[in-house]
Amino acid sequence: MTATYPQVLLKNRKPDRITTLSEYREAGGYEALRRVLTEMDRQEVKTRLADALLLGRGGAGFPAGIKVSTVAEDAPFPRYLVCNADEMEPGTFKDRVFLHAEPHMLIEGMALAAYSIRASHGIIFIRPEYESAAKILEREIGIARGEGLLGERILGSDYDFEIVVHRSGGRYICGEVTAQLNALQGRRPNPKQPPPYATDKGLWGLPTLANNVETLACIPHIVKNGAQWFKDLALTPEAAGTKLFCVSGKVNRPGCYELPLGIKLSEIIETCCGGMKDGATFKACLPGGASTGYLTADHYHIEMDFDSLKKARNRLGTGAVMVFDHHCCMVAATLNLTEFFARESCGWCTPCREGFPYLRDLLWRIENGQGEAGFIPMIKTMCRHLWKSYCAFAPGGVASIESLLMNFEDEVMAHIEGKGCPFKK
Amino acid sequence: MPTLKIDNREINVPAGTKVIEAAERLGIMIPRFCFHPALGSVGACRVCAVAFTEGPVKGIQMSCMIDAQDGMVVSTTDAEAVDFRRHVIEFLMLNHPHDCPVCDEGGHCLLQDLTVAGGHGLRRYRGLKRTHINQDLGPLVQHEMNRCIQCYRCSRYYQEFTGYRDLGVMGIGSRVYFGRSAPGMLESPFAGNLIDICPTGVYTDKPSRYIGRRWDYQRQPSLCIHCSLGCNLTASARYRQVVRHEARPNLEVNGHFICDRGRYGYAYASIADRPRQAMAAGTPGPIVDILAGAREAIQQTVEKHGPGSVAVVVSPRSSLETLAVVKEACGQHGWTGPAAAHTNRQALNRNTAVSCLRPELAVSLAADTEAHDVLVIGADPLNEAPMLALSLRQVQRRGGHVIVIDPRGVQLPFDFDHWAVHPSAMGAILQALIQEIGGHRATAPDTPATFDITKLARRLNASPRPVVVCGTDILTPHEIALAGDLARALRRTHKVAGLFYTLAGANAFAAALLHDQPVSTEAVLDRIEDGGVRLLVAVEQDLWREFPDRKRLQAALKRLDHLVVLDYVDSPLNREAGHFIPTQPLYESGGHWINQEGRLQAASPVMAGGEPIEITGGSDHPPRVFDRRIPGDEPLAAWRAVAALAGEDEADPAPQLKTALADFHPAVNLSTPEATGQRIDLEAIAHDLVESGPAPEPAEDDAPADAVVLLLVDWTFGTEPLSAMAPALTRMEAAPVARLHPDEIARLGLAEGRPVTVSLNGNRLTVPVQADPRMAAGVMAVPRHHLLEWQVFGETRVIVKRSQLKAESE
Repeated sequence: MTATYPQVLLKNRKPDRITTLSEYREAGGYEALRRVLTEMDRQEVKTRLADALLLGRGGAGFPAGIKVSTVAEDAPFPRYLVCNADEMEPGTFKDRVFLHAEPHMLIEGMALAAYSIRASHGIIFIRPEYESAAKILEREIGIARGEGLLGERILGSDYDFEIVVHRSGGRYICGEVTAQLNALQGRRPNPKQPPPYATDKGLWGLPTLANNVETLACIPHIVKNGAQWFKDLALTPEAAGTKLFCVSGKVNRPGCYELPLGIKLSEIIETCCGGMKDGATFKACLPGGASTGYLTADHYHIEMDFDSLKKARNRLGTGAVMVFDHHCCMVAATLNLTEFFARESCGWCTPCREGFPYLRDLLWRIENGQGEAGFIPMIKTMCRHLWKSYCAFAPGGVASIESLLMNFEDEVMAHIEGKGCPFKK
Repeated sequence: MPTLKIDNREINVPAGTKVIEAAERLGIMIPRFCFHPALGSVGACRVCAVAFTEGPVKGIQMSCMIDAQDGMVVSTTDAEAVDFRRHVIEFLMLNHPHDCPVCDEGGHCLLQDLTVAGGHGLRRYRGLKRTHINQDLGPLVQHEMNRCIQCYRCSRYYQEFTGYRDLGVMGIGSRVYFGRSAPGMLESPFAGNLIDICPTGVYTDKPSRYIGRRWDYQRQPSLCIHCSLGCNLTASARYRQVVRHEARPNLEVNGHFICDRGRYGYAYASIADRPRQAMAAGTPGPIVDILAGAREAIQQTVEKHGPGSVAVVVSPRSSLETLAVVKEACGQHGWTGPAAAHTNRQALNRNTAVSCLRPELAVSLAADTEAHDVLVIGADPLNEAPMLALSLRQVQRRGGHVIVIDPRGVQLPFDFDHWAVHPSAMGAILQALIQEIGGHRATAPDTPATFDITKLARRLNASPRPVVVCGTDILTPHEIALAGDLARALRRTHKVAGLFYTLAGANAFAAALLHDQPVSTEAVLDRIEDGGVRLLVAVEQDLWREFPDRKRLQAALKRLDHLVVLDYVDSPLNREAGHFIPTQPLYESGGHWINQEGRLQAASPVMAGGEPIEITGGSDHPPRVFDRRIPGDEPLAAWRAVAALAGEDEADPAPQLKTALADFHPAVNLSTPEATGQRIDLEAIAHDLVESGPAPEPAEDDAPADAVVLLLVDWTFGTEPLSAMAPALTRMEAAPVARLHPDEIARLGLAEGRPVTVSLNGNRLTVPVQADPRMAAGVMAVPRHHLLEWQVFGETRVIVKRSQLKAESE
């Protein structure tokens, strides 16, 4: 199934254990770090990242090369590198799978990214539910330090870099980078509107580069194999690299798959995941987690990369594909997602804090036979107003509601007119 | 200076001005909840949305988050913006209870105003409201969390602005909760401001709860007289009772806030035992008769013993009007005084400070916050002048640095450096600092090596804006003058160096202008004791409570032929006095005060006076007893009473007041209304009053090895005599204790928690011992607490030998 496509991040994934340091090194691990420290200058790392068109894998898709270059050459020290392992986007479990497979790939990626901006402190911000991954990371960081791959004078060079594993208090908003930096400083994890940007004034007012696990894991491969190789991994010309897709829902073989960017949605569902469960019909999917909109059957053959989804007025997000079949009630699904956002809103700004409970109430009434036709324009206005929230949480959170009304208004009306959920009858 | 257009009107504003502030300058009030000028912009509430139609920013944006820029065209009335704001209000009202009729905020509630103004009228949300459990936050602030609209002003104010951590925000989503982790007294002495900044009724004024709506109150601009800073406030009265203070913004003095001592200290004006009847030897009588009797007694004394046998003491808290009329009377009649300080040291301290405060050095409380480095000498801001601590916190928040040189265990709500040095070392340190600042290598005084004077001098010299803050309570005149020299020395290397003294008494600055050579009560007592003074007039100066040697005072008063007391607080002296004349507190008399930086400020009368209906009506309302006049309205403004005592007849004293004010001091000009609110003419004050000169020879036993310096000091709550009468504040007080360094406790053979008795000149003071590792060695600090008979040693700074200390078993 997936073997037809080149595997990069999960190439040596084992069914029951991590790739050990020696296994990782045998497979060419830490080679990139050695080459960088002995042969390349740090500018070369930055150039390769920029040329590789590596887009952030945490959901926003911001070019990693550009982010690295925003840390000014003359910025103060110490500088920080934060690895965002606070994977809490519903439907997303790629970082968990990856960390249980290749911890050293992340460690090497972090060392490389840190080296490029001369950061001396690395922090892995990990969600508390990932305790086993946190333990693995702590253990493997210790092993890497023992081998001279971390700590003082890495591989005999004059470069020092330490990594600590920080367990999150455990809230969705902690995945938002500015909130995460607040959390790391012992403050309330409320987002903070830039400027200043984290790469300028992040942790304790010092330059801080923050990247997702998967983004950092790509770096050793880009450094080792070059930008062109990385770009060639993708199936579409604009995209670059592979992506860890997390497929869940009504498919036969849900799971985490490493696939080239630009792969067709239909291929993911049919080839990788063995098709729809029980021969059901594909109705819709969320392409990248709970904060993306529904893709309907019209987009069944869409190429799954950042640009194509943007053109479809959607987002690739984290690449967490949640599949719904024709038995699924989209109102119930949306209510479920809205429940999540109402619970996880940090409570900082009014539209988000109050809007999600309000939307949840309206959706609940529609789903439970108390809906009115007047709710639909109310919901539409409210979604528009939630776009004027403080951070990107609310615009992401209303994506499913907006796309529900755009694509499934008939289904919503059927709830209202039939005074109840047609799928429950 | 960007120019932008808001609602078709052009305005030019300084760079960095937010659009919401620019609009305010045009008189356009864009709705706001989270935005507060003192707390800044955070973009949380989203109710200040406006439309940007042209320029660098486009679309609906929050006006508090965007700096005004050239070419911006802003519409506050744009349909989409108005619609959005209306819906934000709807969001905020989802959970807000409809309890306005029983909410104390009702009528001056920003949420009410904006709900009505924003056009949200009909409830559409059909879900349940979330509810919270309220907390008991102590005697000052009432908590009602269900009303919360999550603007975050309280947690930002409490934690960021004041630096206390016991109130904050917990939880997330629509369940965010603002309060303490457990119910309990708020720790910040600035907590009362939560009431002012909360845009709705989450935090309301507890002592005035359910007393009235804002429109029921008689409200007037007033001043705080519980320390020398002169914070501005609005006083409210209802039913002949002062019921509430609110902070009155004055960006040159207190900013937007006041401390809790100032906010709740008003109760003395309305308590049941406030003296309202004139008395002759304890027997009430008509005030005209008592005044005539007192005048006659004065005349007889003058005839018998000469005019100098009549002496006047007046309070440095009294209004400028009272001080002026007292000064005029003494001058005209040749009476002794007026004395407006207790001891010679205190009088000299105050006058030294005032004479050192040159116009180019004086800075206001508000300007303090802009300092880069502040050196605090012999002052304990949080205890002596609480709002100063809040100002200094802003220095630290802006990246500045505060260093305190003081023997006490000074605590401030932020990180600062503390040099806990022995009082006897202060002068040497200051002299060394002045030398170093002048570029001369100073011989290091005998201080621990951690106190690096060279480094401190370098720091102050390098600072673009250093300010010297100096107290006048525990220091000597010489050190106070040195603080002035220090600021002057810094001024030579800087364009801007500031000097900021705190004084004892709300009108101490004006009291310093009474004489070039200050007179103290101590000196007046000397004259009584040698028979030179036979009649004493005490004007609003409760000597019994405040003079630091009660035994001596009582003996001296017994030697007098006659005592005349004018006051508005109850005191045993009132009944002992030959004549007692009740006076009016500032809520009734109004008047002018000069704060410690020399700023002349006015307080308006709030009400006509009279005994509170709560007392006369026996909690029955409306009052059942009808009279032609208001019960308990006899008290006179002190200046009127003094004028009546000094005057030839009972003519209208108003012209007399006018002359007295005009003659008071050339620096004080009340002839134009513009002078009020401004600093007086410091140039017109004699600056050679006290020479800093070389240090006085240290007394033999200044710091002997087997002695401690006992300092009788101020505490935030419990020591200031007027505010100590407020029932709400008595719950805030800590019990009086003697604080010493733990090593000192061991050295002196005392035990923590056990009482110590200090015996000096036949007087004794017993107080429990408390260890405070922040204290300097060789020092013992005891509060002038109203629960402690501290008036025993004649001074508030005395040397106590080890043999004079006795550890008590219990």
